[in-house]
Amino acid sequence: MTKPAMILIVEDDVWTAEQHIRTLEAAGFKASYVTSALEAMEQIDTHPPRLIVLDFLLTGQNAFTLLHELRSHTDLAGIPIILCTNSADALAEEDVAVYGVRRVLDKAAMQPDDLVAAVKKALL
Amino acid sequence: MEGQKQAAFNGGSLSGDLPLIVTAAHELKAPLSLVRQLALGLEAKTVSAAEQDRLLRQIILVSERALRLTTDLTRSSRLEDGLFELEPLNPVQICEEVAHELAPLYTARGREIRVASRHRPLLVVANRDLLRRIILNFGDNALHYADDRPVELKAGARMGGRTVRIGVRDRGPSIPNNVWKKVETHLGTGAQPLHTRPQSSGLGLLVAGQFALAMNGKLGANRHRDGTTFYVDLGASTQLSLL
Repeated sequence: MTKPAMILIVEDDVWTAEQHIRTLEAAGFKASYVTSALEAMEQIDTHPPRLIVLDFLLTGQNAFTLLHELRSHTDLAGIPIILCTNSADALAEEDVAVYGVRRVLDKAAMQPDDLVAAVKKALL
Repeated sequence: MEGQKQAAFNGGSLSGDLPLIVTAAHELKAPLSLVRQLALGLEAKTVSAAEQDRLLRQIILVSERALRLTTDLTRSSRLEDGLFELEPLNPVQICEEVAHELAPLYTARGREIRVASRHRPLLVVANRDLLRRIILNFGDNALHYADDRPVELKAGARMGGRTVRIGVRDRGPSIPNNVWKKVETHLGTGAQPLHTRPQSSGLGLLVAGQFALAMNGKLGANRHRDGTTFYVDLGASTQLSLL
């Protein structure tokens, strides 16, 4: 399920994660997913991704746990993050930028192209 | 307690801050958002025919889940009418019906739901529709937090046969102490955001609690090291089981 990949999707809804992967792979990216912050850290430890697409409310520890963990490791702190969440209206980009979050996308409103555009911009 | 709950459904506060409409909107946003994303995936026309069929099936299943919640909300607003009958029911049979109804959703998610107890139980005094909705609610909730191990529906006698407990056991991440205290304090009295269970605003629990109360029952939960059991306790029928 979690092969080494360029983009890591951390999303506890498998069908949403699969949809992100379809979108990103259609745009030429490689992506894989995990469903929890804990799995994400294990995956990141073994195969650091170029970018992380992160849901905010995860089963178990939420996104902030993972963001804090990433910031505490100098070799991981620079990984760009895109928050992709149904709680986007409660998150200001300027508040989460300190965690390396480059963009907050609202899952309820975004188009597939929005995810691709955000990833491309963050990887520039 | 009942008055407080009814007040909540008349526009009062569910968890101290959030009015019902906000909680309901939050609860429905996730499935609607997913349906939209899946539909956008179909629209892209870059998927294979088999993948199209899979996406369509997912859209149907997610829509049905959202519709169950809206139906529950409608049903809960009509509890005052008292237009429901209590009758002796076989709880294992109800569990099997629920497991059968949820099986397509579980299978599509790569999960399994099963009825753990198949021996003859005591009959329970309940309304068939309300009891089904309570167990459906538990089962639907468990789907999202269970790991690969099966979710189990179980019915058994309690308190020397005066009560029947019908529970849904999931195996997955444990609820932390601070969140558990909120659940213990407010179970059945208000929607509680469970931050380790993000797809639940607690609204389903609140509605299930109202259904239980309407049948003179009550909800409860047991925390396990590797998951949770949500259950409803209802009065046992004194009628001899002929099943």
